[in-house]
This record gives sequence, C-alpha cells and structure tokens, in this order.
Amino acid sequence: MRYLKKDFIAGIIRANPIFILLLGLCPALAVSTSLDNAIGMTAAATFVLLGANIIIAVIRRYIPKQVRIPVFIVIIATLVTIVDLLLQGFAPALSKALGIFIPLIVVNCMILERAEAFASKQSVGRSIMNALGTGIGFGWALTLISLIRQLFGTGSLSLFGRQLLTIPGLAREPAIIFLFPMGAFFVVGLLLALFKWLGVSNNA
Amino acid sequence: MIKRSSGSFTILFLTLIVFLSVVTLSLTDDLTQERIAAARQAAIKRMLISLFSEMEAYHYDAQLRIYTIFEAGKPIGQAFMVQAGGYGGPIDIMVGLETDYSLRGIRIVSHRETPGLGARITEAAFLERFVGLTVEQIALTRDNGRIDGITAATISVRAVVDKVREAIITKIDLPNVEKEE
Repeated sequence: MRYLKKDFIAGIIRANPIFILLLGLCPALAVSTSLDNAIGMTAAATFVLLGANIIIAVIRRYIPKQVRIPVFIVIIATLVTIVDLLLQGFAPALSKALGIFIPLIVVNCMILERAEAFASKQSVGRSIMNALGTGIGFGWALTLISLIRQLFGTGSLSLFGRQLLTIPGLAREPAIIFLFPMGAFFVVGLLLALFKWLGVSNNA
Repeated sequence: MIKRSSGSFTILFLTLIVFLSVVTLSLTDDLTQERIAAARQAAIKRMLISLFSEMEAYHYDAQLRIYTIFEAGKPIGQAFMVQAGGYGGPIDIMVGLETDYSLRGIRIVSHRETPGLGARITEAAFLERFVGLTVEQIALTRDNGRIDGITAATISVRAVVDKVREAIITKIDLPNVEKEE
C-alpha cells in the first residue's frame, strides 16, 4: 500500500517525465501551442502508457530478455494505433489538431522508459499507479508549457472553443515567437531552470 | 517443453505478441471503420454546407472528384478539394463554384501553417476576399488580382491563391478561358 502511493506520487513531481527526466520532450515541444492540444495529448499518451504498463507488467515474467524492446514497441504501437483509430472515429477535430503526433507516441521515450525501468520489473498494481502518476506529471507539465505559450503567443487563453482570458494589448500584438518551435525551447528551458532553482530537481 | 531461455521460445514469444497485436488491430479497425468513414463524410458535408448554406443534397463524381450541389433538384454549384504546398506542409482547400463559374468561396480544410502567421489563412477576413471572384481575379493585388495578402504570411497566402486559380482552370471546363499549356 505504501509503495502504491509512492509510485503514484513519484511521476508527478520528483520523477516528472518532462521537467526532471526530460523524456517525451518531442510531443511536449511540438503540440504545446494550445491548452486543447495539451489535454488531448495527455489523454492519448496516458492511455497508451497505462495500457502498456498493465500488459507488460502482466507478461513481465515471460518476456525473453533479448527481445524485450521489440515486444514493448509492438505493444505500444498496437495501443497507439487503437488510440489513433478511436480518435479519428469519435473525436475527428482533436485527431486533426494532434495530427502526426498521435502516431509518434510510439517513439515517446517516456512510455518506453516506463516499460523498461518500471513495468517490466514491478507488479501490475504498482505499474498502474506509476503510469497514472507519470501521466499526471506529463499532463501538468504540458498544460503549464501550453498555458504560457498560448497566453503570450496569442494574447488570450481558450479551452475547447471557450474564451477564458484575453489580455487586450497583447492580443493585438502577440509575441508570436512563443508559438514557434524556438519559443517552445525557451519556455521549457526557463521552466527547467526555475524548477532547478526551486530545488525540485534532485539529480545533477 | 521448450525452455524459456532457448532461442525458439524467444521466436515463438515475439511471434505470438505480433499475432495478438494483428488480431487486436484488425478488430479495432472493424469496429471503427464505419465511424471513421462517417466522420469524414460528416466533415465534408459540414464543409459543403458552410459554402452552400442552401444545399439540400450533393452528388460526388468519384472520377472527376467534383461535388455537385443541389437545391430542390437543381444544381446550384460545384465544389472540389485541392491541395496547395504551404510553408509548414500541405494545405487542403475546398473550392466552391457558382453555376456561372465565379467563386462561391473557399474553405481551408486542414493545414500546418505557423499559428499567428500563416495560419491566418483560415480567418474569415481572408476567406471573404475570394467570394464572387472570377478566375482572372483570383490573384494577389500585386499580381493585378483582387486579393490582398496578409502581412508576414506571404508564402501561405500565395500558395492558396495560386493553387485555387490553377485548380479551377485545370479542373473545370470553363467557357472562354484558354487553358495554360
């Protein structure tokens, strides 16, 4: 029980995939231009992470060591394709917005790393908790990056078509640089520095 | 009984995983195929209605890839899809034509242009500039056309404008218009 809680908490801050482990940065940098994208990406990646962790934890004793990575990849790719098809069928707008980055979840290191470092060694229960925690950690990181980029890049915040906040002066002349890839690097870099300064990061 | 550490177990295991993956995927495909087709159909219909609000039915000619729009049994216009090469990738555009071959309007179906710059081609202010133009008028103002560009979005705008004009010329049998050879 103690472990379950620890495994869940770990991914949120101490082993946050984006800010501490620096994994899964490709989607984090690429789709973090709006809150909608951040939430959609988080949901898709968390589903795949959870599914992969469960399946791998269940069969962990049978996976031959030499082919473990191919096995992980096949499982992850299968789950990603399922998500892709479901999104196309049931949420076409979101599917279009996330575009190529849904298929690219296959090569999201965060998911492969969790499979290799955690699910292939731990019980199903612990793997589920760890996946959920890591998913939440990925989610708030992505949301924070998107929030900053959308706010400064467009001068307003919107969520699923609803306008949440507009900064009058900024909306007229937004700092478009935030929406560019380099803006993503700036934001992520500054946030990393901030978390380091706050002492959240414990690795060198 | 095969030993777990043996090579044949490894091969069998991986084969089994791939087999299960194939089965799962074909099942998912079966379940979602209709939904996906329906979602695409619905998206096309929404796009057509946004161009032809009075549309009652449409017919798709799969060979010419042209949609004919009907109201009360009479054709009121045509529409087709065209792809332009934008700054960030392909831009899919739906072009709507009146029966006299002037532009009913265009819609950007999908694009990957830079948000805040090229992506402004999806804004109504830009799309409205196309309404009612004849083929010769579909060009940027600086090319003696009737369409004002968007600041800092030249590549995206030019891609859309040029492709729409070119597509109408090549796709539709226009009366009195010489085809570019």
